[in-house]
Amino acid sequence: MSKKIVIDPITRIEGHLRAEVEVDEDGIVQEAWVSGQLFRGIETILKGRDPRDAGLLAGRICGVCTNSHFRGAITSVEDAYSIEIPKNADIIRDLIAMALFIQDHVVHFYHLHLLDFADVTSALKADAKSATKEAPKYTNKPYRNSISHYENVLEKLNKLVKSGKLGPFANAYWGHSEYKLSPEQNLIVISHYLDALRFQTQISKAVAIFGGKTPHPQSLVVGGVTSVADMLNPQRLNDYLFIMKEAKEFVERAYLADMKLLALAYKDEIKAGIGRANGNFMCVGGYEFEGEEKLFCNGVIYGHDFNNIEEFDESKITEEIDRAWYDENDDICYTDLNEDGTLKTEKKDDKYSWIKAPRYDGKTMETGPLARVLISYHKNNELIKSFVDEFLDETDLEIMDLSTTIGRNAARAIESSYVCEYVFKLVSRLIQNIKYYDTDTWTKYDFEKLPTTTKGSAFLEVPRGVLTHLIDIEDSKIKNYSVIAPTTWNATPKNLDGLRGAYEEALIGIKVEDSSKPLEVLRVLHSFDPCLACAVHIVDTKGKELSRYKIKTL
Amino acid sequence: MRILIIGGGIAAVYIANNLKKEDSSLEVTILSDEKYPPYDRIHLCRLVDGSSDINDIKLPLDPTVKLELEQKVISIDKDKKRVLSEDSMFSYDKLIIATGSLPLSLLDENIKNVSVFRSSKDCINIKNNLSNKELVVIGSGPISLEILETLNTIEGVEKVVLVLRSSHLYDRYLSLESIELIKNCYTKNGKVYISFEDEIEDTTIQDNEIKTLKTKKLEIQNPYIIFGVGIKPNIEPFRKTLRCNKGILTDAHMQVEQDIYAVGECAEIEKFNFVAGHVKECTAEAEACVSHIIGSDIKEYELGVSIDMLKVGEFDLVEVSSAKFGDGFEKVVISSKEHNRIDEYFLNDNKLTRFIGINSNVDVGYIESLIKEGNEVDINYLYENRIVGERGRLICSCEHIYHQDLVDIVTQTGIRDFSELAEFSDAGRVCGRCKMTVADIIKDSQSLIDPNMPRKSADDIKREREIAKVKKRIEKFNTLHPRNELTTENLESAMESLDIGEKEVNSWISMVTATMQLHPNFEQVIEGAVCALNRVPIIWLELSDCSGNSEAFIKSTNPHIEDLIFDYISLDYHELIMAASGNESETILEDIIKTQKGEYVLIVEGAVPLGLDGKFLRLGPKGETGYELLKRCAKDAALILAVGSCAYDGGVVAAHPNPTGAVGVAEALDRDDIINLSGCPTNPTNIVGTLLSYLMFEELPELDKFNRPLWAYEGRVHDNCERRGHYELGEFVKEWGDAGAKKGWCLFEMGCKGPYANVNCPTMKFNSATSWPVQAGHGCMACTEHNFFDKFANEREYVEDESHE
Repeated sequence: MSKKIVIDPITRIEGHLRAEVEVDEDGIVQEAWVSGQLFRGIETILKGRDPRDAGLLAGRICGVCTNSHFRGAITSVEDAYSIEIPKNADIIRDLIAMALFIQDHVVHFYHLHLLDFADVTSALKADAKSATKEAPKYTNKPYRNSISHYENVLEKLNKLVKSGKLGPFANAYWGHSEYKLSPEQNLIVISHYLDALRFQTQISKAVAIFGGKTPHPQSLVVGGVTSVADMLNPQRLNDYLFIMKEAKEFVERAYLADMKLLALAYKDEIKAGIGRANGNFMCVGGYEFEGEEKLFCNGVIYGHDFNNIEEFDESKITEEIDRAWYDENDDICYTDLNEDGTLKTEKKDDKYSWIKAPRYDGKTMETGPLARVLISYHKNNELIKSFVDEFLDETDLEIMDLSTTIGRNAARAIESSYVCEYVFKLVSRLIQNIKYYDTDTWTKYDFEKLPTTTKGSAFLEVPRGVLTHLIDIEDSKIKNYSVIAPTTWNATPKNLDGLRGAYEEALIGIKVEDSSKPLEVLRVLHSFDPCLACAVHIVDTKGKELSRYKIKTL
Repeated sequence: MRILIIGGGIAAVYIANNLKKEDSSLEVTILSDEKYPPYDRIHLCRLVDGSSDINDIKLPLDPTVKLELEQKVISIDKDKKRVLSEDSMFSYDKLIIATGSLPLSLLDENIKNVSVFRSSKDCINIKNNLSNKELVVIGSGPISLEILETLNTIEGVEKVVLVLRSSHLYDRYLSLESIELIKNCYTKNGKVYISFEDEIEDTTIQDNEIKTLKTKKLEIQNPYIIFGVGIKPNIEPFRKTLRCNKGILTDAHMQVEQDIYAVGECAEIEKFNFVAGHVKECTAEAEACVSHIIGSDIKEYELGVSIDMLKVGEFDLVEVSSAKFGDGFEKVVISSKEHNRIDEYFLNDNKLTRFIGINSNVDVGYIESLIKEGNEVDINYLYENRIVGERGRLICSCEHIYHQDLVDIVTQTGIRDFSELAEFSDAGRVCGRCKMTVADIIKDSQSLIDPNMPRKSADDIKREREIAKVKKRIEKFNTLHPRNELTTENLESAMESLDIGEKEVNSWISMVTATMQLHPNFEQVIEGAVCALNRVPIIWLELSDCSGNSEAFIKSTNPHIEDLIFDYISLDYHELIMAASGNESETILEDIIKTQKGEYVLIVEGAVPLGLDGKFLRLGPKGETGYELLKRCAKDAALILAVGSCAYDGGVVAAHPNPTGAVGVAEALDRDDIINLSGCPTNPTNIVGTLLSYLMFEELPELDKFNRPLWAYEGRVHDNCERRGHYELGEFVKEWGDAGAKKGWCLFEMGCKGPYANVNCPTMKFNSATSWPVQAGHGCMACTEHNFFDKFANEREYVEDESHE
């Protein structure tokens, strides 16, 4: 007898996500549906506006990936008008983006995901002294590894428990049999949960130095960036560097170490392939590294076939809406939920989500840090390779093991550490430019003389994966706008093709021990770092091929 | 507008002054039939005993009010809007009748040795006949008792006879015990003789003067007779033209008919059958009348609770009475022989409606609130819950100032006399009855002033009181969650465990105090308030949003977010960070709504989509719409904050063409008590500050017309901008990245919307004051303002028609 488990709201993500899984008598997931539950219609709002205003508005697609959409929109407009931006502007945009990579990954790991693996109530039983002996097993220089620090953390947690007010820790699945860490291991990672709260306020300053503020930075304009005075102020550059140095410390000594700790503690789950999707990965590449080489290589992998990596080809992208709440004319076609609030999934063509269904060559794709790491690794990207090898060595894992729930997180941590390394390259490149009197931050254009009808696109790698912005301009106004965000790919609903997207596929076959506490489901979903505000977008035209857009990748 | 007021008493003056205060352009004229400018009748006794003259008791009158004396009004002509006196005619646009009342007399007042006790003329007459006549006072009510007491204390007066028809004093409902007590106070020194159950039977009149007065029990030669038997509304000149009963009939705005009002003892509010008898009632009527004429903030007169006081020698009477008092009462007397104290409680339908205390030590304010609340009380409760006033005798019933309060003001501020008191308290200045008592207390307390004490200003005192109030409120929160361990006392150890230095906390507190525009003295309580913040349960709802405000909030620094979550704010429900999901998180939500009813704060982020029956957003296990969820959470919230521009007015989601029919929280709930913290995103400091201010002051902070806290949204970005100097000098950035941009010149020509935005960004900045859009060279886009995406979110100078509106 199969049984349906409904989880809504799924917390510790951005936005409104619902998951429903069908389990058999042993609790094994047979089928899964994930659904975006909020529609805002930002593309509709963008229509008819001045293309130069798209950035400020599209930035509001998401307050978490805020800078990504801001940049995506502006880049697509620049592409439409063939505006090349100055080197400095590009670097500054990258500096903002890189700080955001670190911030997003750290916040995701600790605040949005860790509590699926670490049990706060178990940490209370830890011995502070033993914890100081445990931490060095995962790094040479453990972050804040002192008895007094751990004691302070224990005291803080105890105070919360005694007060009876657990705040955000209340009513979770504490004590669940799937929690595998020892009390000391729990204490170590949870102490970093607290450290990371402070860390992320620091790193956000790095974004604000060139972005004006975060969330929703406000320093990008069509043609370049506005924060030229900050760029020319050595103190600002120095502040940025200092923050990134601290970030590097934290990422190496806490984040990466904790990731190793988890990988070792949950090795059985990794080896069992829990959370593995269908093995289709996609990366558009980007971020200038050295010469022709990019920080991330582009490529497409099918079914974990790492030996045959295709070049990414945007013309293979299509968008479908068979089972999303839209009709053939791109109009809204809301078919409602069932009476009891569950998704309508009975029939093969029942619609159940606001997220449209993008396909690459007719297939669902996984995008994100895991895709980036796998593709770059197998394309022999020198910078990334060493970081991956080191991690696999120390945890005694194979590259295939990364394609799991835990592995997906490991990829994110590995990526964070090499992004930290890369940032310093970027800054020195900027300083070189300034030194040789290149202080340009904006490319001049005369809007009146630009073509009135044109199209543009932007394909960017952003923290959660591939982001596409497509713009269609007519009479110097936005005629059509379309966004495919990373979560759109990963959280896609099924189509008439019946293909499961990465979220749904990764859920199949996992065992839910206690259907009233579906911790295992949360783990899988959280490992993708869902961002639902980003995910929901109207399709531009059903099934339309994108080849007519010019391609621009970073 | 010409406003004519008939009457020379406190009601007339009060109305004139207040009209002028509200609108100085009004032409206000007072017609009085007296010889002297308006004076305070409450102090007439002082004219009798000679301790004051008419100038001492003059009522302060706005000098621009025109005063016409000795104008006895004969009639009014409603059609021509004119008032006729014996020798003049006055036109008006609005007429206010405040003629007060006339004293009753049982004999012809024109007889030389007969007087009433109502005007300065009466007083002078009485004064001139003190020594060569047998003084006779007629009547048992408060007026006769007052004049009796005055006569009793005047040296040279040897004998006074009080003649009264009944067997009681002050009030017919008083117990025999109380009457006996009052009587003894009067007769103790042997000057006063009280003749109960007596009345005038005959008089012998010669040369218009009574030679012999014969009562049922007495025969008095060469008397001087003073009547204190009662008053009636003074409305004769108006009887023909206006609707009258006991008084001139009015509605609750004190309006008689179009453009005519009646106020005070001459007016009768028809729906209550009510004629004012106390100064406080008259001034409240005056306020209702003034508000109606001015036409803003219109108030109706409401029946209240009045307090009367009478101090005669050693007895001290206080009466608290409601309009609901009437026959058929039950009375409870609690008396103490030892302390010469009697408390009489009157109950109608088990509700306390009146209280008379003689030498009572009961807290009068408490009695007043019992009567006001009008709940059923049982007699045992009254006895067991006697609250003894700790602040001594009530001195000013209008301002609720007790003896000890005055002494405290004197010792704290070092004021020397009544005039200096004005800065600190209005005691003695509202109805004026207690003015002299207040002055005496100030005089008597001078010896208590510490000569080395630094003098405090009125603001200091006010602030101290506010701070005391805030402390009390924090206490309340501390008892809300008694299991919570963090208290002000162990804050220090808590801070240590959080690695927060005291300096860090102090500088944060200073920052918050300054940001909230509070006096530095508030710093001492903010620390306590911060501790108590984690007792306030908080639900944070994300509706049609992008999580930007949540992101901003967890980036709040000073206090760092961890401290915020763990020690300062009890963020019980927040989907972005809470560990629980699905049914478990839903349980938390239900639990807060049920068990913390009226205590929790609701923070809403995101717009409310109303299109598609709200189904553009579904949440929770049962697929509730965002709108339904919002209503469910809002119902029992103590306070609702709409955070971010989407929650304020729909923001980007409601931008043209608003595909999902999105609105802001206030509009969705159709409520006007939602605090809006607009911004995209809102600066987290402003959220924390608003929470703190709610916690400290309970009432909402001062808000602008969009319900945004003034302390955060008052200043214009342009006015506080760091680049303002360049604007003044005409130094503008002309294109992105030009020489001016490199030097940080003004961004107005690049479409900066600072001139249209009101918020504290220039001073607060973002991300630990790292930067803000102007510093980043982009300029402001007025994201705090209504409909900003359609009006301001671009890089061009603002032109009105470009908007989608």
